[in-house]
Amino acid sequence: MSPAPADPLEYKPLDGGWGWMVVIGAHISIGFAYATPKVLSIFFNEIQQDLGSSFSEIALISSIMLAAMYAGGPVSSAMVNRFGSRPIVMLGGLLCGVSMITASFGTSIIYLYFCIGVIGGCGLSLNLNASLIIISKYFLKRRPLANGLAMAGSPVFLCVLAPFNQYLLVNFGWRGSLLILGGLMLHCCVAGALMRPVPLPCKPPSYALEKTVEEQPNSGNTKLKKRFVKNAKKFLDFSLFKDRGFVIYLIGSIMFIFGAYAPIVFLSAYAKSQGVEEYSAAYLLSIMGFVDMFVRPGTGLIANSKLVRPRIQYFFSFALVFNGTCHLLCPLIKSYAFLVVYAVFFGIGFGMVFALIFECLMDLMGSQRFPRAVGLVTIIECFPMLLGPPAAGLLVDVYHDYKYLFLMCGSVILTGGLFLFVMNIYNYHMLDKERQKQVRASEVEMKLTPQAGTGQTEPEAKERNVALRDPENTETTD
Amino acid sequence: MQSMKLQHGMERELCLSVCVIQLWMESATRKLQGDTRAASLLQLKGEGGGLVVLLHDAASRETRKRSSERPAHRGDRGIIIMSAIRKQLSFQILLLFISCRNINTKTLGATAPPLDPTAPLQKLERSYVLKGDSHTEKVELLNPVSLVLMCTWTGSQNKPTNITGFWSKDGKEIENSRVTVQLENKQYNLKRTFSIASEADLGSYSCDFGGEAKINFVLAVPQMGDERDKPIVSYLGDSVVVPCKLDDSKPTPNTWNWYRANETGKEQIIAGQKFSIKNDEKKTKLVIHDLTADDSGLYYCGAVYGVGITMGRVELKVISFFEPLKPFIAILVEVIILVAAILLYEKSRSKKDYTAAGHLGKITDQRRALR
Repeated sequence: MSPAPADPLEYKPLDGGWGWMVVIGAHISIGFAYATPKVLSIFFNEIQQDLGSSFSEIALISSIMLAAMYAGGPVSSAMVNRFGSRPIVMLGGLLCGVSMITASFGTSIIYLYFCIGVIGGCGLSLNLNASLIIISKYFLKRRPLANGLAMAGSPVFLCVLAPFNQYLLVNFGWRGSLLILGGLMLHCCVAGALMRPVPLPCKPPSYALEKTVEEQPNSGNTKLKKRFVKNAKKFLDFSLFKDRGFVIYLIGSIMFIFGAYAPIVFLSAYAKSQGVEEYSAAYLLSIMGFVDMFVRPGTGLIANSKLVRPRIQYFFSFALVFNGTCHLLCPLIKSYAFLVVYAVFFGIGFGMVFALIFECLMDLMGSQRFPRAVGLVTIIECFPMLLGPPAAGLLVDVYHDYKYLFLMCGSVILTGGLFLFVMNIYNYHMLDKERQKQVRASEVEMKLTPQAGTGQTEPEAKERNVALRDPENTETTD
Repeated sequence: MQSMKLQHGMERELCLSVCVIQLWMESATRKLQGDTRAASLLQLKGEGGGLVVLLHDAASRETRKRSSERPAHRGDRGIIIMSAIRKQLSFQILLLFISCRNINTKTLGATAPPLDPTAPLQKLERSYVLKGDSHTEKVELLNPVSLVLMCTWTGSQNKPTNITGFWSKDGKEIENSRVTVQLENKQYNLKRTFSIASEADLGSYSCDFGGEAKINFVLAVPQMGDERDKPIVSYLGDSVVVPCKLDDSKPTPNTWNWYRANETGKEQIIAGQKFSIKNDEKKTKLVIHDLTADDSGLYYCGAVYGVGITMGRVELKVISFFEPLKPFIAILVEVIILVAAILLYEKSRSKKDYTAAGHLGKITDQRRALR
C-alpha cells in the first residue's frame, strides 16, 4: 500500500454554482451519445435504397456505433485523466460532427460503417465518459440529482431528434440530413466549453514521483515491457476486480443490460402481433420515452434524499426488480390500453435504473477510482448489449411467439436485481465490519497523535473511506 | 391420285401424302410452264436412278410384306401404277420425305398458333345478395374474362310481383338492359354477362332494382398499396433510385412500366443511358443518372396486367447542394459564437478573481508588513 496520502479530496466539490452549467453540458453530451445511434435508424430506409444494400447491412451501422461507443470507454477515461474533461468533450464533439459530415458524401456501405460507425462511435464514447467523470468531480452531496438530470438527456434528445430527423429527411434527403445532424452534433463542443476544469490548489507531489520512476534506466526489453504494462494498466485497471462491491455491481449491470434493450426493439412488433395498428404501436415507444424524461430527474431527487442516499444500492436493486417484473407481466397483456400502461411502467423502470446506474458506481468507487471503473464497466457492458437483442430475436424466430422474449428478459433482469439485493446486504455487512476495524484503529492513532477533528458529512466520510481503500491513490485528478 | 401409304406413323403418312399431292401439283404446273426444275428433275432422274431403285426396292419390300399378310394384289397394282409417276417424283419425294421428317419434329416444337380472337374468355362469376339499400363489391381482375354478375335482392316492405331492373356502367344506363324482374322465392334476380377485355371495360357496374336497391360491382386491377406521400429528395449530379412496390398479397404483374408526367399526360420512360429499370416480380426500381433540375416531378410506375395497368405515384425533388449547406453554416457559426462566448466569459471571470486575489494578497501582505 502506498503511504497514506493527504486528504484525498483536495478540494470541496462545488455541489452547485457553475456545477449546474456543467450538468447542462453533460445533459447535452449524454443526450447525443445515447440518442444518436437510435435516431439514425430513421435514415436507414433511404440509405438502403440509394446504396442498394440489405436491411441487416444497414442496421449494422447502429451496432458498430454502439459497440465503438462502449468499447472506447477505457481509452476515453485514460485521456480524461490525463487532459481533463473539457478538451476531451470538445474533441469528441468535433469527431462526431466530422463523422456525420463526411458520411453525407458516402457512396458505399463500408464508407458509412467507417464514418458513422467507427469515427462517430469514438466521438460519442469520448463524450459519454468525460461527462460522467466531470459530474463525479463537481458534485458529491447532490450527486444523485445531478446524475439524474444529466442522464435525462437521453430521452429528451430522443424525443426531440426523432421528429426533427423526419422533418430533415423530407426536406433535404438523407445526405443533407446527415450534414445538418453533423452541425448539430458540434454542439457537444459547446457542452465541452461549459465543462470548466475543477481548479486544483497545487499539483500533488505523487505526480513527480511517478515521472522519476518512469525515467529510471532499465535495460532494453524489460523497459519496453514495463512501459507497455504500465500503459495497459492506465487503460484497463484489472485490480478493480479485487473490489467486492465492484464485482457485484458489474454482474448486476451485465444482467440488466442483457435484458434491457430487447423489449424496446421488439415492443412495436409485439404490439402489431397483438392486433394493434402500426402508428399506435410506434406511439408506445414515444410514451415510454416521454415518461422516461421525467422519471430520471425524479429518481435522482429521491435518491438524493436522506432516507435513500445511504442505501442507494438497495434502491438500485429495487429498480431492477421493478423492471424485471414489468417485463414478466407483459405477456399477459392483450389489449392496447394495457399495453399503454405497460409502456408507462416500462418507462418508469427504465428511467429509474439508468438514473442510478452510474450514480451507484460513483457511490461504490468514489470520484478517484470512478474514471477507471467506468471505462472498464463500459467495455465489459459492450458484450451483453450487443448479444441481448439478437438472442431475443433468435427466441422469437424459434418459438414464433413474443412471450418467451419478455419472459427471458424479465427473468434475467429480475435475477440480476435479486442478486444485487442479496449481495449488497452481504457487502454492506462486510463494509460495516471493516469500518469498525478502521474506527478502532484510528481511535488508537488519535490517542497517540492529537489531530483536529474534521467535521465531515456522511458522503464525504464515505468518499474518504473509499479512497483510503484504493491501492493506487497516486494518480492525478483534474 | 393414290397416295403412297407406308406402314409407319400416321403423321408421316399424312405429311407424305400432303407433300406428294403438293409435289404433284407443283410438277404438273411446272411441266405446263416448262420449268427448268422439271428439266433438272429429268437430269436427276438419270443420276438419281440409284435412289429410285432404292425407293422402288423399299416399296417392293413392303408390298412383299403386305402380300405375305394379305394375299390381295391391290398393293401390287398400286405400286405398278405409281412406278411411272415415281420416276419423275421419286427424287423430290425422297428429299421432301427427309425434310418432312424435319418439319414434323419442328412443328411439334414450334410456337403455338396465335390466339384466336374469337376464342372463349375465361369465365368468372360474381354474385351478391342484397338485404338493405345498396352495397358496393370490389372485384379484382387480372386478365380478360367473361364476367357473369348476379344480383339478388330480398325486396322491400311491399313486394310487388314485377319490378323493372336495369344495368348501368359508371352511372350511365346500359342500352337494352331494362328487364322485368319476377319475384321468385321472395327474391328478385338480375343476371348479366359482360365481356371484360381491356381497360375501357373496367369500371363500376351496377344492377338497379327499380331505382330502390342497387348493387355496385367495382371492377379494377389490383391496386397499389399505400402511396408514398413524401417526395424522394436527391441532389444535382447524383443518381437516385425510385422504387415501387406491390403488396405481397397482390398477384404478380406481367411486367412493369414507368411513366413521366408532363403537360399532356403520361409519357413512357424508355431505358437507356439516363434511365435504367430493374424489375423484380412485385418490385420495380427506376434508376435515374446525372440528375438535373428538370428531373423533378411526378413519376408513375405501372404494373401491367392482362386487362389493365395499375398506377403508383412517386414524387422526386432534385435540389442543389447549397440548400442543406445554408442551415449547416448557420449552425456552425452559432456553435463557434457560443464556444467563444463561454470561454471569454470564463477568462474575464478568472481575470477578475485574479485581480481580486491580487488585491487581497496585497492587502494581507501590507498587513503583514505593518505587523
